[in-house]
Amino acid sequence: MALRKGDGVKIFLGLWIAAVIYCMFLVVPQYVGLGDAGRIIIVHVPVAWITSAAFFLSAIYSIIYLWKRNPTSDVAAVAAAEVGTLYCIFATITGSIFAEVVWGTFWNWDPRETSILVLLLIYAAYFALRSSVDDGERRRRLAAVYNIFAAVTMPFLLFVAPRVADSTLHPNCAFLQGSKCEGISLNLTGAKIGQLGDVVIELKSLAKTSTLTNATIEVRMPGMKNVATLVPSLDGDGKPADRPEFPGQQFRMVLLEADATAGTVRVNMQAPGTNLLSNPRTLWVFLASNLGFLALAFWLYHIRRTILQVQLTLTPGEINI
Amino acid sequence: MIDSLIWRATRAIFLREWRSELRNRQALNAVALFAICSVVTVSLGLGPLMPSADVALVHAAFLWIVLLFAAFTALSRVFVVEEEQRTAAALRLAAPPIAVYLGKLCFNLLLLLGLTILVTILAIVMLHIRVGATDLLIGMLLSGSLALVAGTTLVAAIIARSSSRGALFAVLSLPILIPMLVTAVRGTALALAGVSLARGMAPIQTLLAYAVAMFVASLFLFATVWE
Repeated sequence: MALRKGDGVKIFLGLWIAAVIYCMFLVVPQYVGLGDAGRIIIVHVPVAWITSAAFFLSAIYSIIYLWKRNPTSDVAAVAAAEVGTLYCIFATITGSIFAEVVWGTFWNWDPRETSILVLLLIYAAYFALRSSVDDGERRRRLAAVYNIFAAVTMPFLLFVAPRVADSTLHPNCAFLQGSKCEGISLNLTGAKIGQLGDVVIELKSLAKTSTLTNATIEVRMPGMKNVATLVPSLDGDGKPADRPEFPGQQFRMVLLEADATAGTVRVNMQAPGTNLLSNPRTLWVFLASNLGFLALAFWLYHIRRTILQVQLTLTPGEINI
Repeated sequence: MIDSLIWRATRAIFLREWRSELRNRQALNAVALFAICSVVTVSLGLGPLMPSADVALVHAAFLWIVLLFAAFTALSRVFVVEEEQRTAAALRLAAPPIAVYLGKLCFNLLLLLGLTILVTILAIVMLHIRVGATDLLIGMLLSGSLALVAGTTLVAAIIARSSSRGALFAVLSLPILIPMLVTAVRGTALALAGVSLARGMAPIQTLLAYAVAMFVASLFLFATVWE
């Protein structure tokens, strides 16, 4: 009966993941500015955060191992690290594909890309350490210490170093709806020059026609000798109409507010795919994908942990895990 | 009483390391020669760089790469030698683990500071590096060295107890050191470009925070490695 129940869960999980993949390609609408390439986000984002969660789980079990010295905790730490490695590779590959399509390069040392690569290196080092210590008890002890020590560096890698380094290509507060980054206000009679990210912008003119309000804005990108001119606009209802692209990037300039009589505007940067989760179909498929990949990770973890536990019971201290 | 015992043991281990090193000069010779060869090779191949927006970053990256690999050559020795000469067991009996860790950490720090001074002077002379803000550069090198030693001393103790010691040290250390390396390179580039100390404090604070976090984690974990 237990076997049948397990088989049922497996089949259900397989069908769930298949349905997510089907919906990703055929149900979710194309994202504005990203086209079909944006669909990969449905897989990439869940896989990436589950990678971090698996690493965290592995570190927790390492702490428990050092506390209790029970080999079962070490087995759990190894199983979590192995699942994390698998997901980390998948997240790196899907991220690279997306980066090539959207940013024109498979790899550009964006802080988020760097952090996932370092996570992969830490997993690789963890397994290299385990394979180079012969004594079972010592291997478990040293591996647990390294796992915890590596986990201490993660806040620096995820939160501190990206802020010290240059800006990221990944979405940040400037691009996320509902965040406190509300763009920048410029005034024809006052502060005409401002900065959005690392782009210097200057309001040159503001004109109102019968249907549109057009702002002419001069843009100086970092490293660019020439100055570009963008003309974002608002429609009659006060909603953004034209969203011109920044030169050489897929980010767009959006005019959020404009007052032609006062000569004031509020502009912001917008990433391709902004507001993509406001579409209910996309939101539900994204949530289903998160659930599916999380369940898959738990299933893989459970299988691997069971196998390692059986090995440990049969040949304690002999196996190289 | 216990505190004074730990400090006396720490001091004794540090002095022992120092005397032992002065006697055979293995680490000093290896590290100094490695540093000189690296700087000479790069200056021969590269020559003085033309002034540009990226030149400070290139010089900073070069400086920290040489320091990193010289550290890989030298810093693991303090524990590997104990295992190779079979003196680790005696040391375990003679001193508490925390004193062993602190003594070795202080010795590694002194070694790395000497190396940092040597590499920096050589690089400035041979590569014609212009230092815009000397105070910020000194701050970066000090805090960077502290972070480097704090991040590698525990790993040195770990690899000394494994079978493939030399290769494993770099493999285990590099992922842990990447956050501090990124920060150190960016901060040193700011110093070479002439940014004031007040404006360049963020990387120094980050490196010091990293060093403290690694140091505290090492204090908690070292006894487990050393047992």
